[in-house]
Amino acid sequence: MSTPVIEITDLSKSYGKARGIEHVNLEISEGEIFGFIGPNGAGKSTTIRILLNLIFPTSGSAKIMGMDVIKETKKIKRQVGYIPSDANAYPFMKVHEFLKYSKRFYGIENGEDRIAELTDLFELDPERKIGDLSLGNRKKVSIVQSLLHSPKLLIMDEPTTGLDPLMQAILFEVLRSENRKGMTIFFSSHILNEIQLLCKRVAIIKEGKIIKLEDIETLRRRQLKKVHIGFGGKENGSDFNIRGIEEPVTRLDGTFTFMFSGNINELIVLLAAKKITDLTIEEPSLEEIFMHYYK
Amino acid sequence: MNKNLFLKEMRRNASGLLLWMIVITLLITVTMSFYRTFIENQSKIMGMMTIIPKEALQFKGVSNFNDLFSVLGFYSVNNVIYMMVLGSIYAIVLSSNIVLREEYNKTAEYLMSWPLFRSEIFFTKLAVIFTNVFLLNIITALAGFICIEVFKNGPFNVNSFLVLSLYTFLLNFLFGAIGLFMSTIVKRPKPITTFSIGLVLIFYFLFTLSKITESAAKIGYLSPFKYASTDALNPDYRLDPWNLLYFTGFSLVLIAVSFRVYKRKDIYL
Repeated sequence: MSTPVIEITDLSKSYGKARGIEHVNLEISEGEIFGFIGPNGAGKSTTIRILLNLIFPTSGSAKIMGMDVIKETKKIKRQVGYIPSDANAYPFMKVHEFLKYSKRFYGIENGEDRIAELTDLFELDPERKIGDLSLGNRKKVSIVQSLLHSPKLLIMDEPTTGLDPLMQAILFEVLRSENRKGMTIFFSSHILNEIQLLCKRVAIIKEGKIIKLEDIETLRRRQLKKVHIGFGGKENGSDFNIRGIEEPVTRLDGTFTFMFSGNINELIVLLAAKKITDLTIEEPSLEEIFMHYYK
Repeated sequence: MNKNLFLKEMRRNASGLLLWMIVITLLITVTMSFYRTFIENQSKIMGMMTIIPKEALQFKGVSNFNDLFSVLGFYSVNNVIYMMVLGSIYAIVLSSNIVLREEYNKTAEYLMSWPLFRSEIFFTKLAVIFTNVFLLNIITALAGFICIEVFKNGPFNVNSFLVLSLYTFLLNFLFGAIGLFMSTIVKRPKPITTFSIGLVLIFYFLFTLSKITESAAKIGYLSPFKYASTDALNPDYRLDPWNLLYFTGFSLVLIAVSFRVYKRKDIYL
């Protein structure tokens, strides 16, 4: 079995009173596109910053390509690209100046063609000063610099912030293409839809803890169903009680809507004894599944 | 040390360094240009000085009136504030920001994602501080030397001039080390420029206070200015080994502690 590209073992970070992360365990294989999802403040950036040695863990360990993220940070970073969420590159530098500066850290002396190819693809003006760019364009600079040295692992923290839909599509296409060439991608976001477009597996982080680690497809195929029942305004719900109905149940104009995780046959039997005007049972979207875990 | 980072930092700080060089050089040149007029009116000035309170002259670093009439005495008394105080302000402002601004500008996320050890980042930035402070001192000392050569009315002791210049550099670099230390221990990443400038001025104030007030003489020892002797006309004027030890030792300890803190520091953005 090959060494995982990212191996996080019982990783915790405490900020005193503020929440960090607690006992996070993750293993990401080579060639995987892994989604890391959670709302702001859940611990996504904390995890990433430990991987990049910006902050130190309180306990536990993290390895990238089998190397310790603290002791062998330089070796690791030669093979890692990073797109930070804030995209605050040096504002006094021009785009091409920053990109050349960045590539020299990887010992790439030439690489002009790669810069031209990527700046063209992301429609960046290399002569513009970074400080004069919009958030979206700064993000594009960040994306380009992360790909210059063709890293084996790409860590992205909210990479689509500020990008228009067209650019998002280009980014995803580039990522798919790089992934086909063997790049492993760690994609952190609070938007589930973009995770489902790209990732095969996802970890859901809530209040610093991983609460779910699953294949996107399995997550989608879980027993969870979204149920709408129309009672024509007559049902008050007092005798409508069955195991598997997940709170909250919304009642609007005699229609009940809820997530159902129980046996669907039992639900049908119960409903057969009632007068209903409408019944819809559907697959919830990933967003709804995600929200369900976060309720 | 990383060459790429060093060259970028040098370029980034070049305009600031040039500006400080120009300002201090101009101040030295303008001050020294008054030297000839000053000695031409020696008798009148001597008369005036008898009515100036002794403390006011001590504040300026004058212990003997006659010192002012030698070119090196005039240079050391009138230019120490530019070279020692302004040079120290330059050094502390540079050093207190050079590491910290990567955090408050959030550029540390890029810097730390590049293949660099923290030790490389730290020592490269330290090398930039050293080089900039050294260049400022070389250029301003050279300007001072040229001014002395142009305006002198007799020979002067070049060794004493060199010792004075070396003290200035050691003092400036110590403030550079103090700035670096402060920037690594601050919890919240935000500029500490005002505090840094204030610190230099407080130390200078303590030093001058200790000179003019006998009861406050001992507090002068708290100030690094105390150990940078400007008594260039004293026949025994030389680089005191204890003072040299003070400057190098204190600077090295601050750098070592700063490095230790930085190596294990959480970079908050």
